[in-house]
Amino acid sequence: MAKILLVEDNEMNRDMLSRRLERRGYEVALAVDGKDGIEKAQSGNFDLVLMDMSLPEIDGWEATRQLRAQPATEKLPIIALTAHAMAGDREKALEAGCDDYDTKPIEFKRLLSKIEALLNADA
Amino acid sequence: MIGNGHVARRQAALLRLTTAIAAAKGEQEIYQSVVDGLHDEALGYNFLGVFLVEAETGDRVLQASIGWQEAPTEMHVHPGEGLSEQAIRDGELHYTADVTKAPRYYASLASGSEVDVPIRVDGKTIGVLVVESSEPNAFGEEDFEILKAAATQASIALGRARLLAEERRRADEFEALIETMAIMSSELELTKVLQAVIARAVALLGVSGGEVAIFEESTNELVVLASENIGKDSTGTHIAVGEGAMGTVAETLEPIIIPSYHEWLGQSPKYSDITVHSVMAAPLLIGKRLVGAIAIVHSNPERIFNEEDLRLLKLFAPQAAIAIENAGLYTAAQRQKQYFQEVVVNSPVAIVTLDHEHNIVDANPAFHSLFGYAEEETVGRNLDELITTEKSRTEAVQYTTQALDRPVRGIGRRRRKDGSWVDVEILGVPVFVEGQRHGLMGMYHDITELLETRREAEAANSAKSQFLANMSHELRTPLNAIIGYSEMLQEEVEELGHDEISGDLEKVHTAGRHLLALINDILDLSKIEAGKMELHLETFSVRSMLENVIDTARPLVEKNRNAFVLEILDDPGEMHADITKVRQMLLNLLSNASKFTEDGTITVAVENDGRGQGQSIVFRVTDTGLGMTPEQMDKLFEAFSQAETSTSAKYGGTGLGLAITRRFCHMMGGDVQVESKPGEGSTFTVRLPQHIDGNAQAQP
Repeated sequence: MAKILLVEDNEMNRDMLSRRLERRGYEVALAVDGKDGIEKAQSGNFDLVLMDMSLPEIDGWEATRQLRAQPATEKLPIIALTAHAMAGDREKALEAGCDDYDTKPIEFKRLLSKIEALLNADA
Repeated sequence: MIGNGHVARRQAALLRLTTAIAAAKGEQEIYQSVVDGLHDEALGYNFLGVFLVEAETGDRVLQASIGWQEAPTEMHVHPGEGLSEQAIRDGELHYTADVTKAPRYYASLASGSEVDVPIRVDGKTIGVLVVESSEPNAFGEEDFEILKAAATQASIALGRARLLAEERRRADEFEALIETMAIMSSELELTKVLQAVIARAVALLGVSGGEVAIFEESTNELVVLASENIGKDSTGTHIAVGEGAMGTVAETLEPIIIPSYHEWLGQSPKYSDITVHSVMAAPLLIGKRLVGAIAIVHSNPERIFNEEDLRLLKLFAPQAAIAIENAGLYTAAQRQKQYFQEVVVNSPVAIVTLDHEHNIVDANPAFHSLFGYAEEETVGRNLDELITTEKSRTEAVQYTTQALDRPVRGIGRRRRKDGSWVDVEILGVPVFVEGQRHGLMGMYHDITELLETRREAEAANSAKSQFLANMSHELRTPLNAIIGYSEMLQEEVEELGHDEISGDLEKVHTAGRHLLALINDILDLSKIEAGKMELHLETFSVRSMLENVIDTARPLVEKNRNAFVLEILDDPGEMHADITKVRQMLLNLLSNASKFTEDGTITVAVENDGRGQGQSIVFRVTDTGLGMTPEQMDKLFEAFSQAETSTSAKYGGTGLGLAITRRFCHMMGGDVQVESKPGEGSTFTVRLPQHIDGNAQAQP
C-alpha cells in the first residue's frame, strides 16, 4: 500500500487526517514541522507527501523547494494543504514545486481523488 | 406825394436806410432802422410800423414803429382786424387809397391812405411793413418802389440775422451737450448726472426750472432724481404712470405741452403747491423702452412753450436717457461688484489674489485667520515665501506658476505665521479680465480635520479588515476539527451500522460547512475592502473553465430537480483574467439560482461581445425560480442583504456571494447586472473584458 508522509503542525488535524487515511488503507507517517518533514521525506521511502503550508520554522513552501532541490526527492509527489482560501496560494504552491493543492478544511473525497491521481500518474 | 424837387432827398433817404439796415445788429435793430429810415420829411409818411406774424395765434405783433400815432410795442392785431392782413395772406403789396372806405379799417390808426408791404424771409411771409398817411390818395408808384425796396432790404437783413442767431444757438446747444456729456462721462453717479442734465436744459431753453425722473420697472413708477428750481425740492417724489405731466408722457410715450398747468385737468396733487405756469414734458426712451421722463416748467405766464422749445427738449431727452441707462448699468455693476466683495470677505475659504510675480494683491479675512497674518503683512508679499518653508517651496511654486495658465487643484501642507502646519486643499485659477491675464486667484480650504478624520477612518477600517482576516484564520483551525471529525465519525458510524446517530452527525457537518462558507466569504470581503485582494491573471479557455464550473455545480443544481442547460453558440475562445475569481463568481450565481429554483431550468450562456471598449466576455445565468421585486433587486449586491431575513432562514447562504461577485467584477473592470420579475425568475449577467490589463487594475 502507498506510503504517505503527512507534514502538519496542528495536532488535531494531524490525528484526524492520518486516521482517515489509514482507514482507507494508506500507510501514514507524521512530521510536525518543516524541518522534521524534510528529514523524514529524505530518509523514508514515501510515495507521496501531504504538506501543510503554514508551518513553524521552515514553512511548507520552503520545505517543498528544499525537497525539490534534492535528487532523492525531486520527483516525490507533493500535495500542498493550506488554510488560506486565497487566490494566489495555489499558484504559489505550484511555483514552489508542489504537484497539486487543496484547501483546508479537507474535503476528504476530493483530497482522496487528488492523491489517487498522483499515485496513478506516478505508477 | 413825392414831388420832383424831392428826388435827391428821396435817394439820400433810401441810401441812409440801406446803410442803417446793414449796420443793424439783431432783428430789433433792423425793424427800428426800417421805420427810422423811411420816416423822412422828403417822403412825407406819417406812420411806419413793422409787424411780425406770431405762428401760434396768427396775430400781427408790432415790433417797431414811428409817427404821429403812439403805438405800444408788442401791440397785437388779431386776425380779422386791420388792413395789413391781406398783404400777409397773398405776399403782395396792397394800397388802400382811402382807409375810411375800407371794410376792415382799423379805426385807431391814421384816417387817410395806407400801404402794406409784406416782409418775406426764405419765401415765407413773416411780417408786414405798414405805412400810413393822414391824407387819402397820398401814395404813388414811386412810393411803392421805395417801400418795396425797403422791405426787400429788411428781408435780406432779417434772413441773415436769423441765420446768424440760429448758428449761434446751435453752437450754444452743442456746447451745452458737450458739457453735459463730459459731466456724464466723468461723473457716473446718476443723480449728479441728471442734475447736470436738467440744469443745462433749463439754461439752454431759458425756462425757470425742470426735473428728471427715472422709471422703476419693478413698481411701475417714476422717481424724481433731479429737480431744478421748480418751486420746491421734488427729489424722491414717486409718480405713478399716468399721474401728472411726467406720468402722462410715461404712459403715452409722447411729449406734451401744457400751456397752463393749474388749469390742466391732469395735474398731480403732488405739484399743486408750485407756482409754475406752463409745463413741457417728454419721455426718456432707449429705443422704445421707457427709462424716465423729463419736464421743464416756466413760471412766467407770457412764456408759452412752442415747437422750438420741444425741439430743444428733444435734444436733451436722449442724453438724459443714455445717462440713466449708463448709470443704471454702472449701478448694477457696482452692486454686483459689492456682492462679490461681500461673498469673498465672508467666505470661510481663504482667498488670495496674486499678480504675475506671485505677489499678494488682496486676501480675504479667512486667509488672514487661516495663516495668522495681519492684512498689512500680506499685501505685496510673495505668497509662496509667506506660507511655505524652503523645503516645501518648490511644490508650492509649481502650483502657483501653473495656476497662471490653467486651473490647478491639489492637497498640500502650508505654514502658518507661528510655524505650525496646516493641511489645505488648494485651488488656483488664472484671473482674466476682458481677455487680459491679471494674475491668479488662490483658494485654501483647511482640511486638517477632514484628513485627520479620514486617517482615523482608514486606520479603523484597516484594523477592522485585519481583525476579520485574523479572526477568519483563527476560526478555521477549530472548524477544521469540527468538520473533519464529524465527517470521520459519520464514516465510522455508517461502517458500524449506527444509522440513528448519522443524521445528527450530518447536521453538525452541514453547520460546520456553512460556517466555513461564511468565514471564507467574510475573509474575501475584508480582503477586498482592505485592498489586499489581488488579481492573478492568466490566460485560459473560457469553455474549459465553464465546463469545470458546471461539473462542480451540477449536484447543487440538480438537487432541486432543476434541468441544467449550457448555451455556447460560438466558442468564445480564451480570456485573460483571474480564473479563480471568475469561477467563484459563476459558482456564486449558480448556487443562488439553484437555491431559489425548484423543478425549473437553470441556463448558463456565454458569448463574445465586441461592443463597447474592447472585447468582452458575457456570462448569463438564468433561472425560472422565485424572481425578485425591484425593491429586492435594489439591495441585492450589498453585503449581508438577502432579499428578506426569512429568505435567508429558509434558503441558507451567507448573503455575501453577490456582494463578492460584484466586487470581483469591478476589480476586473467589468460589471454584473440583474433582471428579474417576481414569479418569472432572474437573469444575472456578468460582463468582463476578455483581456484584463494587469497594470490598469480597477478598484473594487
